[in-house]
Amino acid sequence: MAKVQVLNVAVLDNPSPFGNPFQFEITFECMEDLPEDLEWKIIYVGSAESEEYDQTLDSVLVGPVPAGRHMFVFQADAPNTGLIPESDAVGVTVVLITCTYRGQEFIRIGYYVNNEYTDAELRENPPLKPDYGQLQRNILASNPRVTRFHINWEGCSEKMEDSENVDPAPNAMLPPSCPPGKAPPLGLMPDNSMDCL
Amino acid sequence: MKLLKPSWVSHNGKAIFSVDIHPDGTKFATGGQGEDSGKVVIWNMAPVLRDEDEKNENIPKLLCQMDNHLACVNCVRWSNNGLCLASGGDDKLVMVWKKAAFIGPSTVFGSSSKLANVEQWRCVTILRSHTGDVMDVAWSPHDLWLASCSVDNTIVIWNARKFPEIVTTLKGHTGLVKGLTWDPVGKYIASQADDHSLKVWRTMDWQMDTNITKPFNECGGTTHVLRLSWSPDGQYLVSAHAMNNSGPTAQIIERDGWKTNMDFVGHRKAVTVVKFNPKIFKKKQRNGSAPKPSCPYCCCAVGSKDRSLSVWLTSLKRPLVVIHDLFDKSIMDITWTLNGLGMLVCSMDGTVAFLDFSQDELGDPLNEEEKNAIHQNIYGKSLAVTMDTQLSSTIIENPEMLKYQQERRAAPTSSGAQGASLENQTPKLTNVVNGESLEDIRKNLLKKQVETRTADGRRRITPLCIAQLDTGDFSPALFNSVPILPGSSVAPQLTPQLSSDSNTANSLCLKANQEPAASPTKTTDDKDSGTPAVNSASLKSNLLLTTASKIEPMKALDSRFTERSKPTPGVTSSPAAAAAMPVSTVDRVKDTSVLKDWKMKEETSSDSEDKVQKVPPLVKRKPEMEGAEVVEKRKKGRPRKDAKLMMAVPQAFPQTPVSVEKETVRVSAPAVTLKLPTPAVQKSFSSQVGTDSVLYLEVENEVSVVAGARLSQLKCSRDGREWDAVLPSRIAVVTGSSDVVAVACEDRTLSIYSSCGRRLLPSIMLPTPISALHCSGFFVMALTASATLSVWNVQKLTAVVKNESLNSILLGSDATVSSSMLTDQGVPVVGLSNGKSFCFSSSMETWNLIADKQDALVQCADFRNCVSAQDALGSVGPLATTQGRSLSAGRLASRLSSTPHHLQQGMTLAFLEQQLSSALVLRSSSEYRHWLLIYTRFIVNEGYEHRLRELCKDLLGPVHKSSTSSWEPTVLGLRKRDVLAEVLPVIGQNLRFQRLFTEYQDQLELLRLK
Repeated sequence: MAKVQVLNVAVLDNPSPFGNPFQFEITFECMEDLPEDLEWKIIYVGSAESEEYDQTLDSVLVGPVPAGRHMFVFQADAPNTGLIPESDAVGVTVVLITCTYRGQEFIRIGYYVNNEYTDAELRENPPLKPDYGQLQRNILASNPRVTRFHINWEGCSEKMEDSENVDPAPNAMLPPSCPPGKAPPLGLMPDNSMDCL
Repeated sequence: MKLLKPSWVSHNGKAIFSVDIHPDGTKFATGGQGEDSGKVVIWNMAPVLRDEDEKNENIPKLLCQMDNHLACVNCVRWSNNGLCLASGGDDKLVMVWKKAAFIGPSTVFGSSSKLANVEQWRCVTILRSHTGDVMDVAWSPHDLWLASCSVDNTIVIWNARKFPEIVTTLKGHTGLVKGLTWDPVGKYIASQADDHSLKVWRTMDWQMDTNITKPFNECGGTTHVLRLSWSPDGQYLVSAHAMNNSGPTAQIIERDGWKTNMDFVGHRKAVTVVKFNPKIFKKKQRNGSAPKPSCPYCCCAVGSKDRSLSVWLTSLKRPLVVIHDLFDKSIMDITWTLNGLGMLVCSMDGTVAFLDFSQDELGDPLNEEEKNAIHQNIYGKSLAVTMDTQLSSTIIENPEMLKYQQERRAAPTSSGAQGASLENQTPKLTNVVNGESLEDIRKNLLKKQVETRTADGRRRITPLCIAQLDTGDFSPALFNSVPILPGSSVAPQLTPQLSSDSNTANSLCLKANQEPAASPTKTTDDKDSGTPAVNSASLKSNLLLTTASKIEPMKALDSRFTERSKPTPGVTSSPAAAAAMPVSTVDRVKDTSVLKDWKMKEETSSDSEDKVQKVPPLVKRKPEMEGAEVVEKRKKGRPRKDAKLMMAVPQAFPQTPVSVEKETVRVSAPAVTLKLPTPAVQKSFSSQVGTDSVLYLEVENEVSVVAGARLSQLKCSRDGREWDAVLPSRIAVVTGSSDVVAVACEDRTLSIYSSCGRRLLPSIMLPTPISALHCSGFFVMALTASATLSVWNVQKLTAVVKNESLNSILLGSDATVSSSMLTDQGVPVVGLSNGKSFCFSSSMETWNLIADKQDALVQCADFRNCVSAQDALGSVGPLATTQGRSLSAGRLASRLSSTPHHLQQGMTLAFLEQQLSSALVLRSSSEYRHWLLIYTRFIVNEGYEHRLRELCKDLLGPVHKSSTSSWEPTVLGLRKRDVLAEVLPVIGQNLRFQRLFTEYQDQLELLRLK
């Protein structure tokens, strides 16, 4: 199981002008002392169309992490406007906070971000070239989307353990007469498929 | 029989694989598939049992849900004592859960359901050994072992007293092991696997006793689980899926010779689960009919893949009842209530059914005695716990005690019932870490957190530890940071408001200086100010969603939430990895400079924020502001020259440094033996003292020359009333209290004025110049340069301490006096530069050591478990002031985890007794009470009966009046018997002391009636 549980993320300084740094106050709990640092990243999705425009705003190491409940503020600069496609500057996008341990991502917290002109006139007639000075960034803080991933917390990991691809080894040990009793995504197993017949 | 399908018991439609009712019948656990993980949920039983409880919205249905398993949970099982829950899942792990005492309601961050967890169950151990999905777990009788079986073909026996120790791994199955059951007598454990076998293993040497294959030869491995069960009398073992003449059965295996002559027939598809009723029954005696000596019998429920459930009595040839079409999919697990009349069944279709039987249907359950008699008869030994120590805590001898225990049990339920309201209050519950509130910490976190650069230039933040894990006896913890208190995790619902509305945040921060006075009214205040924030936040979100013109990009964006970023190879530390992130490398240089700019901007902005924060309270929140003042002034009123201590609070009390400087001028010069430094006489100076109404003192020396005499002037003002006094000599030190003002002059005179400026006494002539002067109430303390100390009560005009020399504490060391103070009770305290603090007991005429910063006991004492939630704030009083907020008690406790328990115990005991006696000699009643409660809890937990008895005896005193008794009915103004009444419930928590509890409870009651 995950040794680190994110308990809460508070979005600070929100809404704010587009150029302000992102500030997230992150509270997490750790089950046991971590020998290595956690790495946190803030990724700004520049365009919904392509991951190409994703910007890693900053990454920090957080440590040492003894067992217990901890908090810190992760501040990262606003995205580099030069790397955002002009057509995607205004409107809804996403900012992601990810955390990795030993190079494996185990949690991803996503927020919708709405970039909007505060000025009514600009909102009606947005300039072709986005005026970043007038843009306001509003993070939909009340609705975080959290995805957790299964990683190998122990020792040095030669390979990533992926919950989606469970090692088929146990079944390989079965005698040939015995059909594999259990396919990995358990909930999907047609256990009583006969009932449907 | 009544049948109910509580629709609210669900994993959002996902399959429920396992269900188990808690031994006390108040809750049950389900395990199964969660959103993208395994899920364990603990539910309240009351709404299942009673219709009115189901409708009552104040009674929570869901108590706690845990998403920690990474994949589907196949089995949940309560330990027999009900303290632990074990769960096993497809993630190959077994987790053992315990209820955390100190944590209040919280939610799972990011989970769609905003339901708070009413109870907190924390994973205390993760058992890793299996290399495949864990299918079943089972606690042995008396919870000595925990067994788990897995698709890795093995069964692991864990030492349940010493997790994660493995007792043994049972190997022998050649297929997926899908079910386990312990022999109730404790001699065997049986397992059933897909390899067409059921094996019985001996617990004595962990070898296989028998291997039964015949009934399983025709079986295919088509069931998800094979949960077999052993009858409560130990005579029969009933398997899951077996075949007889091509028909699915549940095979009955007799203990005697492992004969397989009988089976339960009738299910159309494989039997997945068999569960015996924990009770043994005998025929209901009907009125009129002659009492026939009937054989006791057992009751067994069988669930199958054909979605039907049958209930059998071993005395009947046919099933008692068969229920078809209860579920849409296969039955996965069955559990009985301990009284044997209720049953929960869960199914792959994600629903749960509750069956309620009457005694008319099942029969009269045998009581434990009769059941034991049967065991005694068959096996020659009773299953009842016979160990003496356990016996004393299992039998409740006294109705008072029973009542008390029941009340204790009832308390959580009622508090649970208030779950919702409780949650609203919890953020109010002061969360203090090292004397700072959580809100305070949050406010300054960005500024305060330690950020460094690693060798390769990466930012590294040291997170602030805000709480230790409350894992009870599993890990030693520090005292300094409080255990996780209710509400210390700010409920996620709350945070958006907190952050999006800085005003709210500020107002919350103000509460930092929580005096207990911060009253319910203010809570509502804050709630009110909070609501607009919610509205605006939700408005904004609505706006955001409606203005979101690009619907398709939103969808495209959705995938980003869940897609894992491609593993950036070696991102963690290798410098080469930086190149993999073009953005960050390109901007590296720029980044840092921008960052610096930012730091500056942020400083200024937050400064202004500070100001902003200060202004409104003056207008709006006067009472709170006063509260804040109190804290500040108190700090000043008791000057402490300990630089370290001052360092700890610089930001909180911006004015203090000024006073510190002044004070250091007074005493800092190193003294020759028994020669204390005297303050230099300044031309003019001023100071403020007092707690409720501030007293401003202004001194102007040699203000005028009249007839050749130089006069000095003292100006005092309090509450707008001013007075002044003229003195013939230069004033060296001036101080005051709520009742008096004391002035020491250069000519060794000491003058005492009333609060209105009336001179109370002719000048007192001091033997040597003054070194330090303190006032508290009507007490005045003077420390002279020749290291003598005097304390007077100027109201009664008596000497409390008469020219007492500091010889005994100063001689033989080169320490000097670094601080001094006078308590409200007129007890003088002197702190030395070597970290020791002494107070003088006027009745004993002795110097007593009350604090020693180097004391090993302080650092090693671990009494965190004995600090209740309300005590966690620490105590306020002279003892705490002397020892400092930074009392490092327990700081080393964690390092000493390897030291033997009795040593740790002894150190803690010594420390607590020291604290108690120090509070007594300091005459600080609130601290005495505080430490007495902690001390009592400690000796109750650790079982120091003699000390406990002596303590109670002293508190109770003689029951009958006698002239010879020297017993004092009060201690430090507290009535001892009131204290005893407060201490007794603590004693009642340990059943071992129930006799002591009863004894004193009765006597107290007796005295009350008199």
